[in-house]
Amino acid sequence: MCVGLSARVVSVKDQTAIIDAGGAKREISSGVMEDLEPGDYVMVHAGVAIAKITESDEEEAVDVMEDLL
Amino acid sequence: MNEQVKAARDIITGYKGRPLRIMEVCGTHTHEIFRLGIRKLVPEGIDIISGPGCPVCVTAVGFIDEAIWLALEKGCTVCTFGDLIKVPGTEMSLAGARAKGAKVRPVYSPLDAVELAKDNPGEQVVFLAVGFETTTPSACLAVKKAQELGLENFSVLTANKTMPNAYNALVGSADAFIYPGHVNAITGNGACKRLCEEKGVSGVVAGFTASELVTALAVCIRLLEKGEPFFRNCYPRVVRDEGNPAAIKLMDEVMEPCDSEWRGLGLIPMSGMKLRESYAACDSRIKYDMPLITGKPNPACRCGDVLQGKCKPSDCKVFGKVCTPLHPVGACMVSDEGACAAYYQYSGLV
Repeated sequence: MCVGLSARVVSVKDQTAIIDAGGAKREISSGVMEDLEPGDYVMVHAGVAIAKITESDEEEAVDVMEDLL
Repeated sequence: MNEQVKAARDIITGYKGRPLRIMEVCGTHTHEIFRLGIRKLVPEGIDIISGPGCPVCVTAVGFIDEAIWLALEKGCTVCTFGDLIKVPGTEMSLAGARAKGAKVRPVYSPLDAVELAKDNPGEQVVFLAVGFETTTPSACLAVKKAQELGLENFSVLTANKTMPNAYNALVGSADAFIYPGHVNAITGNGACKRLCEEKGVSGVVAGFTASELVTALAVCIRLLEKGEPFFRNCYPRVVRDEGNPAAIKLMDEVMEPCDSEWRGLGLIPMSGMKLRESYAACDSRIKYDMPLITGKPNPACRCGDVLQGKCKPSDCKVFGKVCTPLHPVGACMVSDEGACAAYYQYSGLV
């Protein structure tokens, strides 16, 4: 139940968004997201977008490891 | 694999320091660390233990009994995340209740349960609201939507839980925590930072891909070697310090803190969430004047010890014998996020 789904936002209207997750499209709630726009990537839990995804995990690894190497 | 991830892998495999206990709090982390083979990278001196971050696993037996009471005694249609259906109650699971005629429907989202209620005005629909801060906003949105639609045939049975007080209960059980990324995506990092500053509890927030888990584990090991308490957000592409303010505001509007029973950890004060009085019409316990129902866990099951890192699933006498994913004795063997299910599937012990 807790597995998050990362997906691209296709459209947003009235606190509802259509997302594309690897080709599968679904309607979700964008009720707790502000400033969501088509093209954004989001993390979806139980049919609700909970956070924007801002970069790839490999880019993130560069930032996270920066001061340890 | 980029240079940073290779370096992180080398930090893990090359560790030769003092023995370390690192607890992955989140059930999905438990599974991904197994599934991705990360456990095989970890040298003998590092013990990766599982924590109580699988919401299905920490849901008390009595909650399952309450849901079955609503389904069998009150004739409600019970909508639930699929993981809960096979979790044993005192006498039976929801799957067993379904075999006796109960209407039990798995849903992906609580909002789907609202749609079901809207489309079936003759049915009384109950959604089983379990989960941590990650899924609680979806239950709150469902309650608000049902109220906006004027639905009188939708209610929720709450067992929502919050992590900060569980962390307090776990202090001392590990050298460091790997915090659940998607809980912090909602709550922000404040509680984890306070644990570090006030109680010296170390931890990192981790994502769920191979590179995220490897880098988070490497950061954790390197900072443990330095010996000072630390907190580090290793999942910044999703987790912001402030979390999700709109979700926090929504949860505060619809729900309020309450004491909560955790399987294995017992009653933790103010570690649960229940509907506020203004949403009482959607509270199944009030709506159906539910009597006090307390469950009795199977005494052979050691899920409680597993959830606190006191033993490994394979230390439990029923693991892999009486208790299997097809015939689970405890909740940790049911859920895809449960530690026992992960050990059963990936450890090669069975």
